[in-house]
Amino acid sequence: MTLSAKAFQRWLQGIAPDASTADVCRVSGIKRTTLAQQLVRGKVSVSTVVSISRAYNINPVSALGEFEAYRVLAGPPQPPTRCELVSQVSTADLLRAVLARPAMGAFGREEAAPAPLSPAPHATSVKNWVDAIDDGEVRHRVSAATGIAPQNYSAQLTANRLTPELAVATALAAGVGPAGGLVATGLVTEEEAGWPPGARQDALDSMSDGDLTALAGDRLQALGKVLRRQEQDQAQTEKIWENLG
Amino acid sequence: MIEILQWTTLAVCGLVAVARIPEALKGRNTSLFYIFALMALAILLSIEKPYVAIDQAMGGINMANLLLRFVIFGAIFFLGIRISKAFGATGAYRLITGRTGRLALLIFSALVVVVFLLMDTAGSSAGLVSVSGKDPRNYALVEYYGAAGRAYPAFVSLVLLPAMTRAVAGRLPVLVRIAAGLLGLGGVAIAFSLLFPVIPPELGALEFVVNYTAVLCFVLGLALIWAARIRQDKRAGSTSSFTEK
Repeated sequence: MTLSAKAFQRWLQGIAPDASTADVCRVSGIKRTTLAQQLVRGKVSVSTVVSISRAYNINPVSALGEFEAYRVLAGPPQPPTRCELVSQVSTADLLRAVLARPAMGAFGREEAAPAPLSPAPHATSVKNWVDAIDDGEVRHRVSAATGIAPQNYSAQLTANRLTPELAVATALAAGVGPAGGLVATGLVTEEEAGWPPGARQDALDSMSDGDLTALAGDRLQALGKVLRRQEQDQAQTEKIWENLG
Repeated sequence: MIEILQWTTLAVCGLVAVARIPEALKGRNTSLFYIFALMALAILLSIEKPYVAIDQAMGGINMANLLLRFVIFGAIFFLGIRISKAFGATGAYRLITGRTGRLALLIFSALVVVVFLLMDTAGSSAGLVSVSGKDPRNYALVEYYGAAGRAYPAFVSLVLLPAMTRAVAGRLPVLVRIAAGLLGLGGVAIAFSLLFPVIPPELGALEFVVNYTAVLCFVLGLALIWAARIRQDKRAGSTSSFTEK
């Protein structure tokens, strides 16, 4: 959901009282036409607020918390759960971690210190995040609370997207920290959401060999399904070109 | 009004057939060129003036109409093969090329020829209108002749219909899905032509609209797939040159 232009102007007054729109755009790297258009339409996007907060060294999560629709983001950040942290580890990093485990034999034994994890989000971070916090009923609760059709919600997850509004609604429905979804969608960084540094690595390290291996297996299976589907679609298209192209 | 529709359809078919010549010379899906050419010929033979001119050259006993029937049979047969192969509809492909399909082609061809020979076909007339007006016997024979001529195309298009419906709902490129929709619509129109005998004479114009809609849908659908392939080639070409750099 977008933010009202009026609320946005009020907020902007608060953080940069003397700055003109042009100044704000220059500092935050937003195109002037983009911001002008958003203001004219009365709908300012959430990412605009995030960019401007960063430019003025304000935490974007608490900045969003000043808007009515994102009030839940205000206040001290809630720490992420272990499941959430691990969900934000990319599949490649996860597999590397599996290989380094003693259970895998001597495979990764000689390796020096593990490479640092690539930053969130990763290619399937949104879906992995929702799966990680889903007790089986979360999707129903989100669609009841926001009115989004379940198939539209699933389509967003499959495309590794989620609107900020839905990301927050999902976190609330699952009872986890409200900013987790914003990390998974890449709107804000882990640090901005108040995730302790190294938390993902620690969460990963705290998993047992069995759990980690099973999780990696799940990820690989899901990835395999996606890849196979893409290959099938590709083959089908090729066949059409071959016969009718 | 009908004449505009006829000549427009002819122009579209002719243009697409001509545009297809370079690809045919390169040996790319040559049968597609023949399909377009056959369709253009079929349209030419269903318009009064060219029909009379051609038929006069063939002896003035409406042999051109018999030729038209086999042009349509040929076009629809190759079309059925190409489309079922392209869309991976193995069941449809087997039905068209297998015993059922060959039997259907044989029976309807024989019927068309036999009924044609039973008629008093002297006097060139597109659609055998003047033959039909001679006496009740010839009127009935022309009806049977027309029904036999429409039955085989209707068989092929009904066989293709499920695959087209699947393709529209599937995950193929959007242009291909639109094309499948057009091909399916053309198939429905052809199948609908089976009902012509029960259409009241006042709605005679409807028959023309249905016939030409069917042809236009097929030609535009095939042309669209062709366009989609070119677009895809261009895209692939641009990315490969990008990586070569």
